[in-house]
Amino acid sequence: MTDRIKKVVTGVVGNDIHVVANRLIDISLQARGYEVFNLGVNTYLEEFIDAVIETDADILLISSLNGEAEGWCRDLQFLRSEYQLKDVVFVIGGNLAVGEAKCEDIVPKYKAYGFDLVFHQIDLNTGLDTLEAFMQDRITK
Amino acid sequence: MSKLLIDVGSTYFKTSSSEGVAQAFRDFSMTIFDDLSHKFANKIAAYKKEDIYICSSANGGLSTLIIGLTNSFSLKYAKNIAFNSGINIIDTVLVHELQTSVAPTQLLDVVIVVGGIDSVGGIYDTKLISYLAKLRYSNIVYVGNTQDVPFLRSHVEALVVLENIIDNKLKVREEALKEYLTNLYQQDIVGKEDIKQLYAITANQIFSTPYIVNRSLPFIGTKFAVVDPFIVVDIGGATTDIHYSRDLVRDNIVSENGFDRLVFKKLGVYKSRESLVFAAKSNEFVYEMLNYLNVTENILEEQSEKATKILMLLSIFLVLYKVSSYKPAYVTLNLERLNALVFTGGITKVLSQDEVLSIVHFFYKKVLNTNTIPTIVLDHNYDIWTLGMHQ
Ligand code: B12
Repeated sequence: MTDRIKKVVTGVVGNDIHVVANRLIDISLQARGYEVFNLGVNTYLEEFIDAVIETDADILLISSLNGEAEGWCRDLQFLRSEYQLKDVVFVIGGNLAVGEAKCEDIVPKYKAYGFDLVFHQIDLNTGLDTLEAFMQDRITK
Repeated sequence: MSKLLIDVGSTYFKTSSSEGVAQAFRDFSMTIFDDLSHKFANKIAAYKKEDIYICSSANGGLSTLIIGLTNSFSLKYAKNIAFNSGINIIDTVLVHELQTSVAPTQLLDVVIVVGGIDSVGGIYDTKLISYLAKLRYSNIVYVGNTQDVPFLRSHVEALVVLENIIDNKLKVREEALKEYLTNLYQQDIVGKEDIKQLYAITANQIFSTPYIVNRSLPFIGTKFAVVDPFIVVDIGGATTDIHYSRDLVRDNIVSENGFDRLVFKKLGVYKSRESLVFAAKSNEFVYEMLNYLNVTENILEEQSEKATKILMLLSIFLVLYKVSSYKPAYVTLNLERLNALVFTGGITKVLSQDEVLSIVHFFYKKVLNTNTIPTIVLDHNYDIWTLGMHQ
């Protein structure tokens, strides 16, 4: 990867209308120097993938607040290989389960779906710091 | 200051003047000009050329094939613009399927190529060129990312390049392509020799009818008690058009015009009767519906006034079915949210309010599972068309 401005596609997956975090994410990413394509709430997985393709994005950052992301993200692995999106970093965060759940259970599950970084009930800035470190790490490798 | 308005349809003429509306079936043994001058000789003689306005939908309709990068953006945006401009979409192809998909054999009026925001390049290469070599087309327009323009210009003959329909925020930018397609459609209709002759009786520009109808939609409230959102269904002799408010579509496509249009080329009651019957017979609800209307399947083969009525009712049902969420097609309208359903075109002269009401009831009950239906308005006097011509 070069040091051109990184492009991020973001939005809230599935039939989820919680919009507040989405606005914050948009603003925070821009403040951190990313070019943001915000698909907003109620976005389906195919739309995310298609947006990544049309914009040649580096990162897909999905959020889910109502806890239903699992049902919407199972096909990620399949779409990822179908479109050869090997270099794209996949990130998900928010409330990743319905009701009480432990990170130890949730994180491996989402990683198996194809996400590189998984943030269950983790504060946004902590998540974005981790993402930046991850991207930096990739460049040095 | 009165005007004479004339609409040349694929099956009949209609006129509107201060004396009201009139219509007459066309006689296909003579040219449109001769037929018209013969049937409305006195009327035409009574008006100055400057006061006669003509629009036409006769033999209209262009075909297109769209090549795009993804379903959710480039193809969706281009499809929307094409429909909106009255173009029939023959097929769509995704870039990553170019090598495997079968090229349509028919002659296409226009091929649309699109994909990527401007900061993305290298989407199109020789795979596209080989695919294009398999097609037969009259026009080709590129509305994708700017980086691929030099390659395409040097490999595709007579390529028209317009502004990318996807802006840098991934939103649709439709004006340039829409204008190009609308002009192509307009040229096709009014460029026909038959239509050109009509300039002998009018000093005004001849427009395409769908353009006129679309233009009148924002003002429809001045003529009817119609509350947004509404759709206008124009069931004609060769095609059935549906004009709808953008509010009814789930897509978050942001655009200038609040109204879109969809054309069903094969759902006309006269000229495309066979394909209408075919579509009806392959519909899962048809037998129940015929039963509901108290007729048998045999009626579809008959040539009677009753059969025509049934066909019109069928086409209402089929059009609603095709745009409902029950049958996701190119465009899905949120019919549950609909406040008014306006019918115009030939059917308003044949069907009664009750007949239309009963088929709409059947549709809402059977397909959408509800007993609440929108307000039904029949545009008996072609007010929508008149409104558009006057604007
Ligand atoms: C306001 C709200 C609503 C409003 C939403 C209005 C709107 N348009 O946004 C309304 C009333 C409409 C609503 C509806 C529902 N809600 Co609600 N809602 C809330 C509430 C109270 C606050 C959400 C909020 O805006 N917080 C402020 C933002 C800034 O914080 P946040 O969303 O938590 O996001 C932060 C982090 O999660 C993180 N984050 C988010 N995404 C990402 C992504 C990454 C990569 C990273 C690193 C971090 C990250 O960053 C943000 C800032 O730190 C929460 C409870 C709560 N206190 O959190 C429930 C809550 C989210 N809702 C909930 C539910 C269940 C619903 C409904 C299903 C209720 C129902 N039965 O109808 C519906 C769902 C409707 C739908 N289709 O989506 C649950 C979800 C439960 C779960 N996942 O286990 C919650 C947690 C309440 C609860 N404890 O039960 N809701």
